[in-house]
Amino acid sequence: MNWGLILSNSVYTAISANAIAYMLVATGLNVHFGYTGLLNFGQAGFAAIGAYSLSIPISRFNWPWPCAVLLVIVSAIGLALLLGFTTLRLRADYLAIVTIAVAEIIRLSLNSVRFTWLTGGNDGLQGFTSFMEKINPFPQQGIWLWKQKIDGYRLWLLVSGWVLLMVVATLVYLLMRSPWGRVLRSIREDEDAARSLGKNVFAYKLQSLMIGGAIGAIGGVWLVLDKQSSQPGDFATTFTFFSYTIIILGGVARVKGPVIGTMIFLFVIQLVDISLQQATKTTPSDPSPVLPTWLIDQNNYAQLRFMVAGFALAALVVFRPQGIFGDKREQAFDVH
Amino acid sequence: MRIDIAKSALRRGTGVLGIFLAVSFALWSPSAQAAQEDGTITVSVVERASGDNGQAKNPVAGVKIHVQGAAGSADGVTDAKGLAVLNVPQTGKYDVSFDATSLPKGVAVNSNTKTTASIDFSAGVSVGTGKSLSFFVGTDTRTTKGRWGLLPQTLVNGIKLSLILAICSIGLALIYGTTGLTNFAHSEIITMAAMVTFWFNQNGPRWPLLLAAPFGIAASALMGSAFELRVWRPLRRRSTSLTSMMIVSIGMAIGTRYVYLFFFGGRNRRFAQYVGDPEIDFGPVGITPRDLGVMIISAIVVIGFSIFLLRTRFGKAIRAVSDNSDLASATGINTDRIILLVWALGGGLAGIGGVMLGAATGVQWDMGNVILLLLFAAFTVGGLGNPFGALAGSFVIGMFTELWTWVFPNVVELKTLGALIALVVILLVRPQGLLGQKERVG
Repeated sequence: MNWGLILSNSVYTAISANAIAYMLVATGLNVHFGYTGLLNFGQAGFAAIGAYSLSIPISRFNWPWPCAVLLVIVSAIGLALLLGFTTLRLRADYLAIVTIAVAEIIRLSLNSVRFTWLTGGNDGLQGFTSFMEKINPFPQQGIWLWKQKIDGYRLWLLVSGWVLLMVVATLVYLLMRSPWGRVLRSIREDEDAARSLGKNVFAYKLQSLMIGGAIGAIGGVWLVLDKQSSQPGDFATTFTFFSYTIIILGGVARVKGPVIGTMIFLFVIQLVDISLQQATKTTPSDPSPVLPTWLIDQNNYAQLRFMVAGFALAALVVFRPQGIFGDKREQAFDVH
Repeated sequence: MRIDIAKSALRRGTGVLGIFLAVSFALWSPSAQAAQEDGTITVSVVERASGDNGQAKNPVAGVKIHVQGAAGSADGVTDAKGLAVLNVPQTGKYDVSFDATSLPKGVAVNSNTKTTASIDFSAGVSVGTGKSLSFFVGTDTRTTKGRWGLLPQTLVNGIKLSLILAICSIGLALIYGTTGLTNFAHSEIITMAAMVTFWFNQNGPRWPLLLAAPFGIAASALMGSAFELRVWRPLRRRSTSLTSMMIVSIGMAIGTRYVYLFFFGGRNRRFAQYVGDPEIDFGPVGITPRDLGVMIISAIVVIGFSIFLLRTRFGKAIRAVSDNSDLASATGINTDRIILLVWALGGGLAGIGGVMLGAATGVQWDMGNVILLLLFAAFTVGGLGNPFGALAGSFVIGMFTELWTWVFPNVVELKTLGALIALVVILLVRPQGLLGQKERVG
C-alpha cells in the first residue's frame, strides 16, 4: 500500500478540474434547491446541455470557441425556459419527476445510435479541447503535488477553473444578499406569502432556474474539458443525486457549501476507491493482494465507492441535514 | 470490446422482433495517425434470438467476412467471440459484407437484414486507426410481415409491459398515497425478488422457477416491511419532511443497487427455465409460453389486488388512510399497521413484478432502476397516490413505449422517450394526472 500516492491522489481529486465541475454543478443546484426550494432532479441535464453545446459545435462544425461558449449559456437558458414554462406550475413532487424525465430524455437522445453523426453516440465526442490547450500558459510537463503529477493542461484547467468558480461563487453570494435573493428565499419559505406581497413567484422561479441552469452548464463544460471527451454516460441521474449529496454535505443554501461538500465528497470517494484498488492489486512478484479475494477483488472493488456515496447521502439527511457547516435555519427540506 | 457499444444501445431497443443492422463507429485510439498506415476494421456478428425481446445476444463464430475498398481488400472469419479483425490501408471507403451461406445452422438472414455495410476512414471523426461495426442476425421469421402486420405483436408487447408496470406501480402509488413518500428505492425492491429467485433457481438449491419465485417475492415483501419499520417509521416519528425522506430513499436506492452489482456482477442472466421455448401462434401474434404466463399471472394479480382494495376491510382501510390519514385514525384505524401492511403488500407486488420482469428480460443488477422512470411516469400520469390511476397510467406508459417502436422502427433504442414525452404532455394538459383530483397550484 503506497499511502503517499493514495493520499496525494485523493487530495488532488478533491481540488482538480473534475472537482470544479462538481462544484459548479452543485452551485447551480444550490441556487435551485437551496435558495429557491425548487426540487430540480434534472441538473445532470443542464450539465449535459452545457457539455454538448461546447463539444458539438467545435468538433463537428469547427466553430470558434467563444461562439461555442456563448451557445453553452444560451442553450442552458433555453432549457431552463422550456422546463420552467412546462413544470413550474406543477406541484413540487411532479416537478421532481418531470425534471428527471427531461434530463433522461436529453441523455437518451445524446446516447442514441440515430444521432451518432452529431453527438458521437455512446462513444461521445473528442477533439474539442484544442482551444483550451492553445491558450494554456503553463509548460507541458506540469508540476508534482507530492506524489501526484499534474500535467500542464490539467494545471491550467485547475487554475482557470478555480478563478471561474470564485467569480461564480461571488456572484451567487452577492445575488443572494440582494433584495432579489431575499425574495427567492421567501419563496422557499412560504410561496403563498411571497405571492400575497405582490411578488411574481413564477418569474422569480424561472430566473432562478435560468441562473442555476447556466452555472450547471458551465460545470458540464469543465467536466468534459477535464476528461477531453464528452459522453452521455457521465450525465446519468446519479450525477444529479451526487450533487444533492454534495450540497447537503457542505450545507444547503451556503455559497461555500458546494465547494466544501465537493472536496469532502470526492476526497472520501477517491480515498475509498484508490485504497481498495491498491489493496486488491496483484502483481507478478506479489500474487496475493492485501485483502482476501473471497471478500473483494479487482473486479468489484469499484462498487464500494457508490455504496458509500449512496448510503452516505441517506445517513446525512437523517443524521445531519444541515451538513457540516450548514445553518439549520437555512435548510430547504420543507418545500412542499 | 467494441460490441458493447452496440449492446448498450440495443439493451434499450428491446421489443422489436426481428433483425436489424446497427453500425457503430468507434474510435480506436485517440492519437492521430497518418492516412496511409494500416487501419483495423473490427466486425462482430451477433445473433439476436426472437421471442427474447432481443435480449439474448450470442456471438456467431465461423462467419466469413469480406472487406472491399479502392485501396485494398481483406477477408476474415469470426472467432468464438463473433469477432473478426481485418487490416486494411487506412484510407477511403470500404464495403463490408458477410457471407450468409457461412452462417451456422439455425441462424438465418431475413429480408431486412443487411449483409453489407460501409466504413469510411475519411468521414466523421477521422482521428484513430480503427473502426468497428456489428451485424445482427437472428432466427426470427416473422419480419416478413408488413408494417400493419406487426401492429398486433406490438400491442401484445405493450400489454405485457403495461401489466408488469402496473404490478410494480400500484405499490408505489399506495406507498405515496398513505405516507406521501415518492419511494426511489422501489426499483431495488423489484430487483431483490429477481435476485433471490435467481439464487434459488440457479445458484442454491436449483429449484424450478415456480417454486423459487415465492421466496423472491417474500424477500421483497420483507424488504419493504423492513424499510418501513427500520427507516420510514422512525423518520415519520421525528416528523422528517417528505423531501428529506425522498432524498433518503434515493441514497438507499443507489447504495443498495451497487450492493447488488457487487455480489451479482454486471451480467444479464436468465432463470433456468422457459428460455428459448418455441412460440405459440395466435393468428397474427406469436407469444412464448413464458410471456403468456407472465401476462396471465400479472393480469390475475392486478385484478385480484383491485378487488382486494375495493371489497375487503383491509383494502377499504388502506384507501381510507390514503384519503385522509388523520380522519382514518380518528375512526379507529391503526394507521401505522395499515402503512406497514401497505409496505409489505407494495413490496410483495413489486417482487411479483420483479420476477415477471426477470423472466421476460433477464436478471440484472439495475433492472429495477431501468424501469423506475417508467414507473414514476406511470404513477404520475395516473395522478399521484391513486392506485387505480397508477393502473391506468401504466397502460398509457406501457403502450406508448411499445408503440414508439412501431411508429419509429429506426430509433427503437429511444422508446423510453415516447413514454417520457407522453408524461410531460399529459401533465401539461392535465397537471393533476389522469385520475388525480384537481388541486389549486401556482
